[in-house]
Amino acid sequence: MTTASANRISGFHRTWNRFKTYISKPQNAILLMLGILLTITTIFPMYTIVRDTVRIHPGSIDTQGKALESQVDALGTTLTTYNWSNLFTETITTRVGRERVTRSVASIYLWTPLLNSVLISIFACFGAILYGGVFAYLVTRTNLKYKKYLSSIFIFPYIMPQWTLAVMWQNLFNSNAVTGGNDGLFVALFNVYMPRWWCEGIFPVSVVLAIHYAPFAYILIGGIFRNMDANLEEAATILNTPRWKTFFRVTLPLVKPAILSTVLLVFSSAMGSYPIPHYLKLSTLSTQYVGMSTNRAGQASILAVIMMLFGFLILIVNQKTTSGRKNFTTVTGKSGQSSVVNLGPAKYAISILFVLLTLFTGILPIILFAVETFLPNPGDYSFITHGIAGHTTTKWWLTSENVTENGMYGQKGILYNADIWNAFAGTFFVAICCALAAGIIGTLIGYCVSKNRRSKWAAYVNNMAFLPYLMPSLAVGVAFFIFGSGAGIYNTFLLLILAGTVKYIPFASRSALNSMMQLSGEIEEAAIIQNIPWWKRMTRIIIPIQKTSIISGFLLPFMTCLRELTLFMLLCGQGKIITTMLGYFDEMGLYAFSSGINLILIILILLFNTLVNKLTGASIDSGIGGDS
Amino acid sequence: MARIELNHVTKRWGGFYAVDDLDLLIEDNAFVTLLGPSGCGKTTTLRMIAGLETPTTGRITIDDTVVFDSDAGINVPANKRRVGFLFQNYALWPNMTVYQNIAFGLSNIKEAGLSVSKEGEIVRNPSAGGAERKLTKEEIDRIVARVSAIVKIQPFMDRYPGELSGGQQQRVAIARTLAPGPRVLFMDEPLSNLDAKLRLEMRSELQRLHLSTGSTFVYVTHDQMEAMTLATRICLISNGVLQQYDEPLTVYNRPNNTFVADFVGNPAINFINAKGAQQADGSFSLKLLDQYDATFVPGEEVRVDDWFAKANAEIAAFAAKERPTEKTNKDEPFKYPVARVSDEGVRDETPGREDWVLGVRPEFVRISEDGPVEGEIFSAMPTGMETTVRIRVGNYLLTGVVFGGVLYKIGQKVRLSFEGAGTTLFSRENGRLIACGTLKIK
Repeated sequence: MTTASANRISGFHRTWNRFKTYISKPQNAILLMLGILLTITTIFPMYTIVRDTVRIHPGSIDTQGKALESQVDALGTTLTTYNWSNLFTETITTRVGRERVTRSVASIYLWTPLLNSVLISIFACFGAILYGGVFAYLVTRTNLKYKKYLSSIFIFPYIMPQWTLAVMWQNLFNSNAVTGGNDGLFVALFNVYMPRWWCEGIFPVSVVLAIHYAPFAYILIGGIFRNMDANLEEAATILNTPRWKTFFRVTLPLVKPAILSTVLLVFSSAMGSYPIPHYLKLSTLSTQYVGMSTNRAGQASILAVIMMLFGFLILIVNQKTTSGRKNFTTVTGKSGQSSVVNLGPAKYAISILFVLLTLFTGILPIILFAVETFLPNPGDYSFITHGIAGHTTTKWWLTSENVTENGMYGQKGILYNADIWNAFAGTFFVAICCALAAGIIGTLIGYCVSKNRRSKWAAYVNNMAFLPYLMPSLAVGVAFFIFGSGAGIYNTFLLLILAGTVKYIPFASRSALNSMMQLSGEIEEAAIIQNIPWWKRMTRIIIPIQKTSIISGFLLPFMTCLRELTLFMLLCGQGKIITTMLGYFDEMGLYAFSSGINLILIILILLFNTLVNKLTGASIDSGIGGDS
Repeated sequence: MARIELNHVTKRWGGFYAVDDLDLLIEDNAFVTLLGPSGCGKTTTLRMIAGLETPTTGRITIDDTVVFDSDAGINVPANKRRVGFLFQNYALWPNMTVYQNIAFGLSNIKEAGLSVSKEGEIVRNPSAGGAERKLTKEEIDRIVARVSAIVKIQPFMDRYPGELSGGQQQRVAIARTLAPGPRVLFMDEPLSNLDAKLRLEMRSELQRLHLSTGSTFVYVTHDQMEAMTLATRICLISNGVLQQYDEPLTVYNRPNNTFVADFVGNPAINFINAKGAQQADGSFSLKLLDQYDATFVPGEEVRVDDWFAKANAEIAAFAAKERPTEKTNKDEPFKYPVARVSDEGVRDETPGREDWVLGVRPEFVRISEDGPVEGEIFSAMPTGMETTVRIRVGNYLLTGVVFGGVLYKIGQKVRLSFEGAGTTLFSRENGRLIACGTLKIK
């Protein structure tokens, strides 16, 4: 402390004093550090993708040969416009039947996949909002039966790995006659051959994506329905407004923000999804990127840049919509949930319908995966169709030595297969590290931003942390792939953890920010006044009070990491983690192995979810639904 | 224990001046209330003194220590200012028991020359030397026992805040604030969340507390009654600008301007527009209530021309003050309310030098048989102890207070007069007080 007499002070000293004061607040110091760190981890990999589009790649020199080399010699540069110009000008001639068809490279590699990506994203948004939104309304606003059961099972598709439903779709509907490969369950049981458009392409991809992301819509929209003051609707009812009018003029506008954030989330997630279009054979930006990345590396990066641009676009839309005056997200009220719509006799019909639907999306995949692992050959359902119990096998689980016969290709059974368990260990390691890093950083960001609400720098850090959320997973994966290859850390856990952390910080920062915003600043100020140090304020006051949402800030990255494929598949070899291992077995045709791994993964994730839910009360569907 | 001085303290967000060039001296052991309508900047002022908010410019001194000086870049953080703060919503830590809430801050104290008396009072004597030390468990127990006895919460020590009533939570918050022995106690509307009866009780307890602790109290409230009854001095703020800083009765009897006159006092003061001029003998001959001629005799000597010259100079000086940005929350003269039966046909006119406004406190409106003003009872609200009546005079309404349970019939004809030397005369042009004096209706 300085005495009153020392108030004449030099300009530098004053600035220095101010800086000291600023930095002496922990939230400012942390924000400064995290801001710099996040700028590097978020912006730098993106920059490397953009740079990659103008770099010369070994592959392109091979195909273009001398022309490019001479160009390099002449200009003395390592940068080229070749990747761009070639993508838009080259044509490829193929034989289709007897005719020779000439198509431009851009249409095969860019325009068609882009169109498909946009289409499935739009369809997925519509589907997810319709399915999830209707379900949210039914659970929170009506006297639907079995709410508790439905509410928890509805989010299964989101908890489970993305490809689960895609694989199940194949297992159900594929047939040797239409799609080639093994016969699915429909053919085996009912002898029904589904048409090709039903089995592959835009339709199944959109449906599966919609079901997978419907829980988003349910959680976001349901959250608003649940917190919405029933008085708002009652006020309209008192004024003798017809019920449909109340719904469209009062209820719907209030959930508009939730619908919008669902749209943004689903759109960017669907755009970057790799496994679903991969399994269901649709050419999208992400599958095309993977397909062309070896011999057209620079051009593949152009696809990644386009995906990234969509991410930025979504971020801008998000900014515009959440900062407006019509942001009603805080509409909560004191009045208890009283206006429950009576569904009448339809109650049971609707409830049963949803029970069946959720059985189909939540339970059936698990059963199918389990059944799959006991079939002697993929698609051989003879034990059901012919009722022969002997036509099942436990060899996929129990084989304990290297055998090449029995279609095992020298692999040991799942329970004895060291490669599989190593990959599981790898996955757990990555998931734990990502969860810890993302959870801690996210919580700190949430805390610091809530303390500096007016500060522009805080808003910047928040956006930086949020950006990867809206970036398609594959684009983030590509960015870290190029970044990691350049930095020499390709195929290391470090790179996986880095990518996972950056991608999942938003999960933690969102939930931390939301909960910190609700915590009155005075709770901490009461401790500041008493000279309680910062770490003690955090560990003794703030974290204990907000432990539920902070734990979910750790839980979400962990769960997502366990089942992440799109983000990680470019960053490591196939044996590193379990999800990439799955791809390996699929390529090998060892579907029983991949089904077994899927089964273990799903059960583990569900177990963890239940465990954490029981222990801490934190859960993904946090308190929506089911009190009846 | 502590003396607080504010010099030219300003807090602004962009062009919004929450606190505008505030000078304030809070004497040691004073009980000062910061009073004003919501959003006037009183809480901001309090938080700036406590260090929870950073002023834009200015200087704040507590005792002999400069805790904030924008010119020197000094800003002592809140935790180093050794002050106590009582929050409006109590801010009790919900995850700790009552005992832990009080003891938590104590377990952090680490000073040299620290001792605790047998009664549980912290004695600080840094000059005694010795190594820095923390309080022992037993010492903390003693302190907690003392402060919890002051506010009578001993039976609840193991409960969590969620299990206490509002009044009990309030007491815990006070105990927690008192425990480390702060030299100043800041309170931000501490009673506003309590019900009316409890509020009255806590008010008197706070007064006792001020006496027994001997600390300096700074208290924010928008309730003028609280300010009047508790404070040794009231600091009235409006739109970030200090309106008056005086003892409660001075604020009540000699309000600096129409805003202060209107804000303090319940029922509110009567404003009566008047037209007229000052006479050679110093008195004002006025025409008021559309029909009555009256004389206002100032209690002190005042020459209107000199007075205007002085007031205008002050107003000009205020307007000419250098500001980095234009003040968006403009300082406009207070629009005092004139109660009328109907506002139809009332025009907003620009007041000139001939226009005055008289402030008559309800207790100076006297109903008597021989009163010169004729009116009829518009409404009557007896409380038992006194009766508040509104009397209609032409189109105007005057509020009066009659002691005792007198029953009036609505519509009943009455006569009234203005008594005492406490009528205030303001300029309509700038709302400022010209003089207190006697009003006689001819």
